[in-house]
Amino acid sequence: MLELKDVKFSVTDAEAPDGKAMRMIIDGISFNFERGKFYAITGPNGSGKTTLARLIMGINPTTSGSIFFEKKNITTLSITDRARAGIAYAFQHPARFKGITCRDLLSIASGKTDEDELVEIIKRVGICSYDFLDKHVNSELSGGEIKKIELATTIARNPKLAIYDEPDTGIDLWTIEPMVYLLKKEQEKYNTTTIVVSHNRTFLEAADSILLIRDGRIAYTGDMKGVEPILMDLSLCPFGEFLEGGKNAECFR
Amino acid sequence: MLSALDKKLLKAVANLEDIPKGAYNIRKNGKLMGREVSANIIIDTNEDGTGIIVNIKPGTVNESVHIPVIVSQAGLHDVVYNKFIIGKHSDITIVAGCGIHCGSSESQGHEGIHDFLVGRGAKVKYVEKHVAMGAGKGKRDLSPTTRVFLEEDAHVEMELTQLGGVDEANRVNEANLGPRSSLLITERVMTDFRQVAISKNDIVMAGQGSRSNLVSRSVIKGNSSQDFYAVIEANAKCFGHIECDAIIMDNGVNQTIPALKANHPDVELTHEASIGKIANDQLTKIMSLGLTYDEAVNWIIQGFLK
Repeated sequence: MLELKDVKFSVTDAEAPDGKAMRMIIDGISFNFERGKFYAITGPNGSGKTTLARLIMGINPTTSGSIFFEKKNITTLSITDRARAGIAYAFQHPARFKGITCRDLLSIASGKTDEDELVEIIKRVGICSYDFLDKHVNSELSGGEIKKIELATTIARNPKLAIYDEPDTGIDLWTIEPMVYLLKKEQEKYNTTTIVVSHNRTFLEAADSILLIRDGRIAYTGDMKGVEPILMDLSLCPFGEFLEGGKNAECFR
Repeated sequence: MLSALDKKLLKAVANLEDIPKGAYNIRKNGKLMGREVSANIIIDTNEDGTGIIVNIKPGTVNESVHIPVIVSQAGLHDVVYNKFIIGKHSDITIVAGCGIHCGSSESQGHEGIHDFLVGRGAKVKYVEKHVAMGAGKGKRDLSPTTRVFLEEDAHVEMELTQLGGVDEANRVNEANLGPRSSLLITERVMTDFRQVAISKNDIVMAGQGSRSNLVSRSVIKGNSSQDFYAVIEANAKCFGHIECDAIIMDNGVNQTIPALKANHPDVELTHEASIGKIANDQLTKIMSLGLTYDEAVNWIIQGFLK
């Protein structure tokens, strides 16, 4: 239902001496996401995971390549048009607003203003309080609360494709399992194609398929069993080769 | 009898569909248009005929008084001095505001100077809206002065709004807080084109245990400008906070100058101020919910000024 064809994204390299060189962030990714499946995108910091998710939502424009959603080329569509086509996105660091309440945000996300219907939505993310609707989406909300509202606005759209960028950021350990359960339930009940960008093992284990991104490319696709040894390997210190001069050095402390 | 234009202006400034129920005083083009008093709210013209004195009996609860002003006469600059004496332990709502309709190239304006004497333990909600409309090219000025004196344990909440159409506004808010009294001022101003708005606020925290919170939300569009000055001077153990946020669009300019003066060692005074465009992450979020860029800007501004 979502197909990436040789998608590339590059930015101007600020460190280049002439300021003109380009740095490749996403370096030719092709992949076919199937309807109703649960995908986890993982990889080291700076590998391009979030950028890939942003390219799908249209937050960043692709440098080259194309993106097809339900067989329609959406490569040049705006965020708005992609949202209207059925793609929803939960941000890692949700925006905070002055003067806007959870009710306002959920109403605009769901197109509903009826209090009971809005309460039904927040119940789906585990908030069982009418008071919550009138809380302001500013510094009044804790890190965990704002992430829940972010999830609520995403599922409120009943999307065909839901993208969650590191949904566990700022969430306490005890809430991660219920969050995975929630996303799985939404996926199964509404046949939502789900993409989660995460480092968290719980999300990776829940996924039908894992995409491991490294240096802007897909380094592996498959299940947890296959990805685990690679992740273990990636977590080793990459500076090892520079440290071999140890035999010629001594510490005098 | 209200004309269609009067009704339009009254709806805009005081959310009134018709003559209000309860006590009211409607002033049109510098003259009294209608007045009604109640058993607890007495309205009299002041001695020199330049305004009104609203007397609210002690213990009056759940009553309201509307005092809207309409200026639709070309070239008129109306100045009014109003005094509100609010009896102790009363709990009332005062709805004020001025609507200007300008149909010519002559300038029109209104200056409302309001003094509030708020008795011990009284609670007041003051709502003031300023609106200017009409196809005329004349300049529209609205320059209110509000002075509030709070006795001990009094509580005043003021909502001051000016959402467009006013070419020049010079607002002055002054307050003096007695022991354990509290004051919340929320000011919302939107300017566009070449409009200019200046707001000067001076709050003196005289009484021990007093609390004040001054919130300002500004949207500056087109080539307009807004200056916001706020000073909280604390002379006793108290709590005071200033929060001023400005959103700049187009070529708008803004000055925001909050100041805190502590003349007592136990004061707790804070301020936060921000000026900037609408944040990108806010726009992206709202667009990801299906709104276009322009719709998202509008939605964020409406919420900010709500």
